[in-house]
Amino acid sequence: MTKGFVENGFIIDLGNAKDASDIIYELSSILEMPEAQYRQICLKLGNIDLTQSQLLSIKSLITSLNSELAFVDTNSNQTELAALNLGLIVSKLSNEIEVVEDEQVQDYLFEDNSHEAVSENLYEKIEPEQVEEKIEVIEKTDEELQAEDKLEELIDEENEQDKQKEESEHEVSKMSTLYLQQTLRSGQTISYDGNIVLIGDAHPGSEIIAKGDITVWGILGGIAHAGARGNDWAKIRALKINAIQLRISGFYARRPDSLNIPFIQKTSQFTPEEAKVNEHGEIIIYKLYSE
Amino acid sequence: MSGRVIVITSGKGGVGKTTTSANIGTALAKAGQKVVLIDTDIGLRNLDLLLGLENRIVYTIVDVVEERCKLKQALVKDKKNPNLCLLAAAQTRDKSAVNQEQLKAICDELKEDNDFILVDCPAGIEQGFQNAVAGATEAIVVTTPEMSAVRDADRIIGLLEAKEEIESYRLLLNRVRPNLIKSNDMMSVEDVVDILSCSLIGIIPEDTGVITSTNKGEPIVNDEKSLAGQAYSNVAKRVMGEEVDFLNLEEPKGWAAKVKKFFAGLFGKE
Repeated sequence: MTKGFVENGFIIDLGNAKDASDIIYELSSILEMPEAQYRQICLKLGNIDLTQSQLLSIKSLITSLNSELAFVDTNSNQTELAALNLGLIVSKLSNEIEVVEDEQVQDYLFEDNSHEAVSENLYEKIEPEQVEEKIEVIEKTDEELQAEDKLEELIDEENEQDKQKEESEHEVSKMSTLYLQQTLRSGQTISYDGNIVLIGDAHPGSEIIAKGDITVWGILGGIAHAGARGNDWAKIRALKINAIQLRISGFYARRPDSLNIPFIQKTSQFTPEEAKVNEHGEIIIYKLYSE
Repeated sequence: MSGRVIVITSGKGGVGKTTTSANIGTALAKAGQKVVLIDTDIGLRNLDLLLGLENRIVYTIVDVVEERCKLKQALVKDKKNPNLCLLAAAQTRDKSAVNQEQLKAICDELKEDNDFILVDCPAGIEQGFQNAVAGATEAIVVTTPEMSAVRDADRIIGLLEAKEEIESYRLLLNRVRPNLIKSNDMMSVEDVVDILSCSLIGIIPEDTGVITSTNKGEPIVNDEKSLAGQAYSNVAKRVMGEEVDFLNLEEPKGWAAKVKKFFAGLFGKE
């Protein structure tokens, strides 16, 4: 008896099937499982007699389900002949079961920590306990697969985020812009479905709410809410950001209590500042064009 | 003749709207202008007290609106200056007794034979404020160098800007204490102007004389020695379109002044 070793193998035991239609039914349900995709299939056919055409249809079914029939194990002479005619590797089991040393089994299991690589003779010999072990291994692999899936999902998500970011930025640049040249005083509110450009100061107590970006050519002292319709990549910029509160999309930040400057002295030297949401979901203010 | 209607407002209470109204009105009248002061603080009237006219009020603005008297009958002439009149507020009613159209009508009528109509506005931004502003085309925003007053002034300026009828507004900085500014304990005039980005019409120094003059019912502009009085008459000149330099509020220096201050301190006088 020969010990086969098939790369990327997958054993399907159809020994309980009564005829060819049973086999096809079972096969089609098994081969749809993700574990059975793209594998070298080893079929255990037991005592069923199959004609060459039946075996050929089984083979084409397996091929159509993304796998390949590589190995047939049978007790039937007719099936053996048919398989040989189709150029498949065949092993014919005698009814006497050869006893394989436990050691060998251990070796085999050690060597093979997943469900690849099989000689069904050995497979036969695996004690129930060992089968359980093997199932565990498979389950582990499932977990791994799931982990991989998750990773892929994460990567997809990241890609999607990048895409969203680009889209949002693009969207912001496409939005119409409200251009204002005035001082925004306490109690005054501007809200606009687009970007807002304010030439002048926004005093404490004022509110600017924009769907897109907010740009203040002056001191921003009031409340500014950019991306008010949920654009996390919206930005707020001003010559000096002294806002009581900054809001971007669903994020918000308030001026620290330690920074209690009642008013900003106007100078001719302001370094423009910009605020955005960083990757941790915090609103950060940074100087633009600083040395 | 078409007079100018100027509303004197602040948002915050207690910054000196009524004092300013009384003093600018008196100063304008002294300069030969025909002036009517309107108190719109119905229910909390004070302007009559500052002018010492409380006992002369027969009819009030509510009586005019409700047509119990003619407008001319309700004008109370000043004790000293016949150019100055007061249209007093009712003490027994509240702000809802008058509406914006009625006040506008009164202002329009008074415009015809007066040079200036000064409207003393109540604190707040509710109906009282809306009424007071209704007839005016100019505004004087009174504030003190405190953050809260400046914030409220900012709010008021915003509201005034939103009103089409208001053509110009200027800032009057009241109760300035130069020595506190010097020691950096008070916002400087420049700071306030910077914050509000608004042109200035006057700087009035803190003066204890204002309190005594209020109690006496005699506006401080009548006291020519007082610094606050001088500052108010300068504001009146600026209202009339003259260019007057801002007062130097620095305390006098030199040893003579110091000795004077020392003795003043000894005898418990400022």
